Amino acid sequence: MVFLKSICTALFILVAVHAAHAAEHTLVMHHMELQPLQMTPRVGDVITFDNQSDMTHNLYVTYSDGTVDNLDTQIPGVKRQLTIRVAGPAVIKCWIHPIIRLDVEIAPPADP
Amino acid sequence: MAYDRRTLFTFFVAIAGVATAHALAPDNPAPDRAADTSPVQTLTTASGEPSPELKAKFRRPDSIPFPKANPFDAAKAELGKHLFFDPRLSSSGSVSCASCHNPSFDWGDGLDRGVGVTGVRLPRRTPSILNAAWLSALMWDGRAATLEHQATMPMTAEHEMGMSLDGVTQRLKKIKGYEPLFQAAFPGEEIRIENAVAALATYERTLVSSKAPFDRWIEGDEAAISAEAKRGFLVFNGPGRCSKCHSSWRLTDDSFHDIGLKSDDIGRGKFAPPSVVIMQHAFKTPSLRDLRLTGPYMHDGSMRSMDEVIEHYEKGGKSRPSLSPEMKRIKLSKQEREDLLAYLGTLRGPPLQSESPRLP
Repeated sequence: MVFLKSICTALFILVAVHAAHAAEHTLVMHHMELQPLQMTPRVGDVITFDNQSDMTHNLYVTYSDGTVDNLDTQIPGVKRQLTIRVAGPAVIKCWIHPIIRLDVEIAPPADP
Repeated sequence: MAYDRRTLFTFFVAIAGVATAHALAPDNPAPDRAADTSPVQTLTTASGEPSPELKAKFRRPDSIPFPKANPFDAAKAELGKHLFFDPRLSSSGSVSCASCHNPSFDWGDGLDRGVGVTGVRLPRRTPSILNAAWLSALMWDGRAATLEHQATMPMTAEHEMGMSLDGVTQRLKKIKGYEPLFQAAFPGEEIRIENAVAALATYERTLVSSKAPFDRWIEGDEAAISAEAKRGFLVFNGPGRCSKCHSSWRLTDDSFHDIGLKSDDIGRGKFAPPSVVIMQHAFKTPSLRDLRLTGPYMHDGSMRSMDEVIEHYEKGGKSRPSLSPEMKRIKLSKQEREDLLAYLGTLRGPPLQSESPRLP
């Protein structure tokens, strides 16, 4: 029981910290364009990718350390979420449509 | 500190909620192809004519885009033209760029699959290079991002031109007549492969489809195409679903799709992580400008007639996880097929005139 209490306490703290500092952003896809974000996202923030275009997309984010997060296939109307992992310049592109590109600067995580 | 049952219940409900939210994240993608939620496009006016908004999507641009890193220069284009038609850029001295991108075959070769210096049939069909200035990804699998990069690839491919880039440079230096051409294009510089491919790319960007009957109709000349072709334009944008990928004035979205062809070639998939399922068997949408209605068609030249092509789209292609969500079975009447073919015929303009240069 003590072990369970410890786990629960730790998770409560994690959830609370996440809620206090993680911001949410929405990035809308229009046809072959990505609408720029209104604010600079931070590590830990969540971006919702909202496909409001009339075509299927498959976005991916390449971070400054070279790692990649793949958003997988999004048919029109589908939203997907991604928690930002790495600070620095990042590039959002589409596997299907290489003409699509959005450069984003990602800030370090907020101080606790 | 003690937790009562209600607190624990609330906590686990919250955890379940977080887990559900994470199911939306890319780690747990849930492909959804059930519904086509594309907005309904206004195809026609009240009188049933193609709408001005629809026609505007196919209007030709006024000028050719040249990159800042390699701007247009007439001397550079002239040098590029000589290089394009010169078979001495190949190991056997018998294959030039123009051997496969032949002006008489609408800058393709008319073959189902290309053939280079070794006589071995290449794995893919030769695409036309008309309108290459607008390309954002080159080659069927998009492995070249610029024309400058692309120009080096056939030269160094074993079964295409079979040269090394150093070999090309050395050969050009030995042909005295190239020195003044390079000096005119790149004053004060020695002959370098970087300048050769810059010149080739510049020349290729000048190769633009001539104005076709379809262009004149888009500009307002109602007599430029037949009533049958106008109906075909609506089939193309409506029940045929062709414009889902064959969009813009060049009739391509410059993008990559698996259209369900039976082939072991994974195309773009070779350059994407295996987790990017949608790129497996994906190839670039070819332009339909100056389409040769005699075929062959598809990246592998596997289809010989337009009837075969239409039948493929009616069946919807081979079903597999990578099949493009844009691929949905279509059903066209005999009249709609005829109208569609009439429309495609209007995309052919007069041949682009190009006089072969006298080589140095």
